Amino acid sequence: MTNPNAIKNNPFKDLGEIPEKKYHNGYTLDSTYITVRDGVKIAATICLPKGLSLDEKIPTLLTQTRYWRTMELRIPFRWLFDSMITNAPNPEIVTSRGYALIYTDVRGTGASFGTRIIPFSEEEVKDGSDIVDWIITQPWSDGNVVSKGISYTGTTAELFSGNNHRAIKAVMPGHGFWDPYTDVAFPGGCYDLAFMQMWSFLGKNLDLNSPKVFSQIMPEVWLFVKGVKPVKSDKDLKLLQDAIRQHESNQYVYEHTVNRDFRDDKLPDGTVFDDISIFARKEKIERSNVPILAWCSWYDSGYVDAIINRFMNLSNPTIAILGDWNHGASLSANQFFPERTIVTPKPRERINAWINFFDKCVYGDGIQGKIIYYYTLAEEKWKKSRVWPPKGHSYQKWYFSENYSLTREEPATDVGADKYKINFRTTTGRNNRWWALLGLPITYYDRNKIDEKLLCYKSQPFRSDIEITGQVILCLYMASTHDDGAIFAYFEDVDEIGNVTYITDGEFRLIHRKILSTEPPYKMLTPYHSYKKVDSSPLIPGEITEVKFGLHATSVLIKKGHRIKIAIAGADKDTFIRYPTEGRPTITISRNKEFPSYIKLPIISKE
Amino acid sequence: MEEIIPSLKGMLKDAIIIKSDATRFEITITILNKLSENVADPDEILVMLKMFGGLKENVPMEIDINNKTQNIELKFQTEEDFKKIQKIMETIWDDAVDMLEQTIQGDFSRIKTVPKIDD
Repeated sequence: MTNPNAIKNNPFKDLGEIPEKKYHNGYTLDSTYITVRDGVKIAATICLPKGLSLDEKIPTLLTQTRYWRTMELRIPFRWLFDSMITNAPNPEIVTSRGYALIYTDVRGTGASFGTRIIPFSEEEVKDGSDIVDWIITQPWSDGNVVSKGISYTGTTAELFSGNNHRAIKAVMPGHGFWDPYTDVAFPGGCYDLAFMQMWSFLGKNLDLNSPKVFSQIMPEVWLFVKGVKPVKSDKDLKLLQDAIRQHESNQYVYEHTVNRDFRDDKLPDGTVFDDISIFARKEKIERSNVPILAWCSWYDSGYVDAIINRFMNLSNPTIAILGDWNHGASLSANQFFPERTIVTPKPRERINAWINFFDKCVYGDGIQGKIIYYYTLAEEKWKKSRVWPPKGHSYQKWYFSENYSLTREEPATDVGADKYKINFRTTTGRNNRWWALLGLPITYYDRNKIDEKLLCYKSQPFRSDIEITGQVILCLYMASTHDDGAIFAYFEDVDEIGNVTYITDGEFRLIHRKILSTEPPYKMLTPYHSYKKVDSSPLIPGEITEVKFGLHATSVLIKKGHRIKIAIAGADKDTFIRYPTEGRPTITISRNKEFPSYIKLPIISKE
Repeated sequence: MEEIIPSLKGMLKDAIIIKSDATRFEITITILNKLSENVADPDEILVMLKMFGGLKENVPMEIDINNKTQNIELKFQTEEDFKKIQKIMETIWDDAVDMLEQTIQGDFSRIKTVPKIDD
């Protein structure tokens, strides 16, 4: 059951009314190769509103993907549906609103030619501009192009704006990164082994047109889909075979990153992680001044922080939305209401809101300024703010104290510490915020039981409701028996009868603990760690050191009578690589006058 | 994909006619929907029989595909082979949809019984 209040206030309803326009029923389907500046052929599927008259000109919605732009269905399903059945959104919705819809396979993928060494390369981004050049010369084009996507395609849409092509009028990146090092590959410097391995495995099989990969990852897709859709003219599949042969030279991020540790480690083409980030292309994107509708979820990997960083750092007119769903918003992920099966707002409502946004940018005067809509968990309410952090924001410190408690009082004693031997069997399972990037549901259940293996600190029941919105900062004064390690910290709500609900978490590899006072590459609200080799240093066993980092952003109401809890682990075995690779460290967390470990909560006052 | 499951069996049965001729050991599949592309390759028919029909062994058959009439004719040498495929075809659409539905719901028991598919 979805909270009616949530439906009423959802921000997608705020994005304007559907304008009076001629609508079309149904669409025509075509495909072709678009040759870009260096001769590489990019496969494109084109959906146009059915019955478009010769003199009618329409804008185009472009999506550039690496996951097959269109799929060839298996028999017998191909006898019932056209190949767009697996595409989201269904072209019918978009074409009926008067847009041409074009999907392309980015170079080195699907039925496109070329090879790829890294994702989101400069060449891949420039292809977007060449594709726009092709679009605006088509007889049906009115010269306007917008782009949207979720996850990979969301990032291609955002980077696309940096091409500064006059035809690009708006972009809608959903669930995309800002800083790929911290948002996805190495959150807190900890290598997301599971995702990087699976994503590379998936990508390699897709690029070789091997549907067998789905039998292991998404078996329902394997039953339905045979491979990538060749372009229409490629009757004997020779072009597809030639393209796939070129993909054999592709390289994949897992091989490039699995034995790396640092942000400045070089990728094979001489670039570093930052080069494929959004923040490194900030100036180009800002120069375009293209309006952005960006959305994500509090529970989605580090992409939640990407939304906030984008909102704080880009000057483009922006609508940002943070909800309570999974990666891609197909499922509810609200941990306070695990029984919810329906995501709010529903997909069709969201899609129509995107198109309203595009309409405003193509036909109207666009959007002005920046606004962020965010959903406060447990309060179950949408809010909006023109600034981040929102008005009324301040930090409140809670100190680690005796008997595994959290208190507002600073420690007064000279002694006080808790030991914890790292348990490398601890896990958040395979339905956590990181595995979610593979399209899986998000469930952090049984936290009570899991917390038994962790070092936990709990507050007394709150005397009144308190809203926490932003990034919780964790500061530990700690020593270890080993020179390497990681901290995984879970921030939780405990209700009156002791049920524990996951709110957010943070992870941090201890060799990156140095906090820099220099200017970070972008504005951030958490301690600045460079994650570069030069700033890293092993722990000195037995020596107390400060470890301070931000958890992933959240917005939650801690209700009167509830408690907050911080649970600390040293591993998350089904997701992250193990630090150190051998041995089982014991950590000691100090909680005394000289070394007062604490968490800092971003509180929003009601006044 | 989930949304189409409830109506999928009916859609398949409405759009595809299967006729058997026991005297000539022939099965004819006719697709009523107007297709914009070729009906299928013979290999795809074999994959369909293995994947959704549970066919484990290689059954000798001639597969004639007529893209104009949208007919597929499966011709067998022996009655035994004919009856084997005829039996599969009697329930193949129900089996395919049930398998898809189970898999979407996270039950992979049936998918594990699918023999090796080369595609």
